[in-house]
Amino acid sequence: MDQYTVLSGDRSKIKDLLCNRLTECGWRDEVRLLCRTILLEKGTGNSFTVEQLITEVTPKARTLVPDAVKKELLMKIRTILTENESEIEDAEEP
Amino acid sequence: MPTTPSAQGSGNQNTATSQQIVNNFRELIKDPKSLDEAVNYMYQTLLDDAVAGIFIETHHLRKTGNLSALDGVAEDSTYRICEMPNLDIFGISTAKKPMDCTCPNCDRLVAAARFAPHLEKCMGMGRISSRIASRRLATKEGSSAALLHSGGNAGGTDDEDDVDWSSDKRKKKSSQSSRNNGSKKNNGKTF
Repeated sequence: MDQYTVLSGDRSKIKDLLCNRLTECGWRDEVRLLCRTILLEKGTGNSFTVEQLITEVTPKARTLVPDAVKKELLMKIRTILTENESEIEDAEEP
Repeated sequence: MPTTPSAQGSGNQNTATSQQIVNNFRELIKDPKSLDEAVNYMYQTLLDDAVAGIFIETHHLRKTGNLSALDGVAEDSTYRICEMPNLDIFGISTAKKPMDCTCPNCDRLVAAARFAPHLEKCMGMGRISSRIASRRLATKEGSSAALLHSGGNAGGTDDEDDVDWSSDKRKKKSSQSSRNNGSKKNNGKTF
């Protein structure tokens, strides 16, 4: 997907902020707990590969996000994208 | 998906690439379907980054050994501060302790707090009692010659000792006050 390069402009910073702010609402702690328990279960041998564990945790974390937060995030992303679009259009017109 | 323009763009100057990026972006957004895709994709990447951050945090904690330290140690019940009215902080009552010591000299039961001063007087090691003792020695040498003739030495000397004890104290007090005369240097003693 080419959207990588597309959004590598300043937008990603803003979105990061938004995302982090919203996830501070408890999802983060849940995920932290989850990580901790997984580490404890798997890991007295010092947790294999970091990446392995991350890839395991990510889908679970995705499901953990409360719906409201998710929807809010999506809406915000969409509005910012469309702002971007309209900005570019305005820049184009004159 | 137009991957080639951006690849070419990276070969050119920076401004050219950004322009191309912006163009691509515009194109993508105009199409509603791809907009949705883009939004979802953005969301996903952000989420993944967040999860990765959290995981790294816990991983580091684990490696440094701080992971369990965050939870803290359960407060030991023996060390808890005691706040009841009649007990001090450790839970020990402040009433007088019933400990009495037996004096090795006179075989009397003395309270623990008064034990040391009592020993002083009893064994003749304190300031006053040493003076009493020395004075008694002085007077004894004079009176022992007279006493030798009279019988019942042990009984006599004991009675005289008892008498001397109290009378000496009174004598000492009056003489002390006259001696000091308001000058308190050297504590009334001369060396």
